[in-house]
Amino acid sequence: MNANIVLNPGVKQKDPSRALVIAVSSHAMFELGGELKLHLQKVKQEPEPKSTVKDNEPFREGIAFPFIKAVQQVNKKLLEKNANEMLLFDVILFSNDVSPASQSRVVNSALHYDLEIGRFCFCSDKDFAASLQSNHVKLFLSTDTDEVGKALKEGFPAALLYQQRGQGTTDTLRVLFSGDVLGFSDDMAHFLREQGFSEPQLQSISTAKGAMKEFATVIGEMRRRFGREGSPLCTCLVTVWTPRDACAGALKMLRGWGLEVDEAFCLAGAPQSPILAQIQPHILYDHGLHNARNVPAQC
Amino acid sequence: MSLNPAGTATAQQKSAVNGDGKPSSQNLTPTKKPRTPKPQNAITIAVSSRALFHMEAEQRIYEQKGVEEYLRYQVEHETVPFGPGPAFAFVKALEAVNAQLRELYPNSEELFDVVLVTNNHADTGVRLINTVNHHNLFIERFCLTGGNSPIGYLKAYHTNLYLSADPEKVQEALEEGIAAATMFCPEKVRDVSETQLRVAFDGDAVLFSDESEQIYKEHGLDKFFEHEKAYENKPLDHGPLKGFLEALGKLQKKFYARGQRLDCPIRTYLVTARSAASSGARALKTLRSWGLETDEALFLAGAPKGPILEKIRPHIFFDDQMFHVEGATEMGTVAAHVPYGVAQKHRQRQPVDKKD
Repeated sequence: MNANIVLNPGVKQKDPSRALVIAVSSHAMFELGGELKLHLQKVKQEPEPKSTVKDNEPFREGIAFPFIKAVQQVNKKLLEKNANEMLLFDVILFSNDVSPASQSRVVNSALHYDLEIGRFCFCSDKDFAASLQSNHVKLFLSTDTDEVGKALKEGFPAALLYQQRGQGTTDTLRVLFSGDVLGFSDDMAHFLREQGFSEPQLQSISTAKGAMKEFATVIGEMRRRFGREGSPLCTCLVTVWTPRDACAGALKMLRGWGLEVDEAFCLAGAPQSPILAQIQPHILYDHGLHNARNVPAQC
Repeated sequence: MSLNPAGTATAQQKSAVNGDGKPSSQNLTPTKKPRTPKPQNAITIAVSSRALFHMEAEQRIYEQKGVEEYLRYQVEHETVPFGPGPAFAFVKALEAVNAQLRELYPNSEELFDVVLVTNNHADTGVRLINTVNHHNLFIERFCLTGGNSPIGYLKAYHTNLYLSADPEKVQEALEEGIAAATMFCPEKVRDVSETQLRVAFDGDAVLFSDESEQIYKEHGLDKFFEHEKAYENKPLDHGPLKGFLEALGKLQKKFYARGQRLDCPIRTYLVTARSAASSGARALKTLRSWGLETDEALFLAGAPKGPILEKIRPHIFFDDQMFHVEGATEMGTVAAHVPYGVAQKHRQRQPVDKKD
């Protein structure tokens, strides 16, 4: 396997057997500019001619900044409650097809912004899944829905890093789970089939339910460290297509897994975007549903 | 995907059509429910949990013992449905209208859509959903905001009317341009129709702006009469609930088009302290200038509203003055306070944190 792991000297390493390891795409964390084109087209390009940025200057802040700040807030509050807390967020930055010159720039950018990123993993496309595995990653996050879809296809838990408006929320980490996935059952399959969902889509939703369990359980454990009000970690459940009984079923099941949900929304087919714009999650964990091709158009 | 043209075919009928071999008794899916309309097509009524259901005992626990105890209680009593609250009969009547609209216009989405919007935590969601199931209500859309303000969600759902037990939230909604009112429940609710939706409105500061009420408050009754007579032909400015009356009027016209004018399933009433002899004309002319009307207009010339409302039996009565709201509830009418205009300046607002 061809992967370059770089430890962040500025961050105390966490115990991966106890921490919640989340991998974030470097494209989400920083605006890699020309590097992004490199990633997408897999062709070496000259740096943008108008760029006056020097080689060692930090990249500009990316969409994931509110996320990492919120994660840092959760870790800080967890350690305030218990200085020996091992159940913390452990964020790894994942990059594939980033040139060696930019690799050090990525690390330096993280140091510059004092981001709590434990490690950097630079690997190639084909070593992507294996690298996630070997780093004990429980969830991969990206702002790119294709990247998320790809990881899910390879059987890896992945979620969308939602683009928040303005400066974003940084004092609370907001994690959103799909009630359509978690509330899935035979009854609901019948309902979704009538809405126009295909058999492969239904199969995918069914397996997603099991895939979400590990991450949801750990988030639940973390959430229980805090009280109902004033928690730096906030859990949301959104059911888009399936009826209210699916939402109730999902809430009960999550409770059984130890996850208490703070906010719940049942849309019954109403357009998601305005509601998501109100919820402003950081993590949108719906197994790629909200951006799935050929899903029946929302009424 | 094709929408079943009848829109309301039962699950059993569907399985027969598809040649599904399953005997109907084994078909567990609740697909008898009609499809919920798109928010922008429907008339969206958002109700809070305490407006829709009776949750006073739980509210006391929240106020006296705090949120953790409150949520523990809710979860423990999850399978115990709540009883009906002030807006319950109103919501049932909305559904009766929907059923009749669906029969006449099976493909139309111009229907009422009731959304439950509450700042409760998701823990209470299971009990609320169990309660909705128990009472057989057609509410499929929920927002449990976990303590956050629900106002943004009201906008996201294109809410036409927001009913809540919490005056602070109602005030916030009005300030954001959303028609809203605080629900008050009579001790003994009078029976209301199950087939005809009846909505009663006060005029000034509810359908109309409070401009004339300002004159009355500052210069007295005589000046008010003078002013209204002089400006009889100048339409008043619109008030917060004008849009809702307009929405009701649109649905009424759909019934008229099918010959249901006299026995229309929606009936509206203007119940105003204005007098027919003088200031009433301006009110009626204003409505006419907007292309709106109410089925009945009752000019009380200052008489109390309670007795007349007791005769009308509306499912809900909107007024900007607590004096009239209380008068209505004393005689068994569900009344909703619209905290708008000059009449509010003389009231003291007591902020009370509520799980609504």
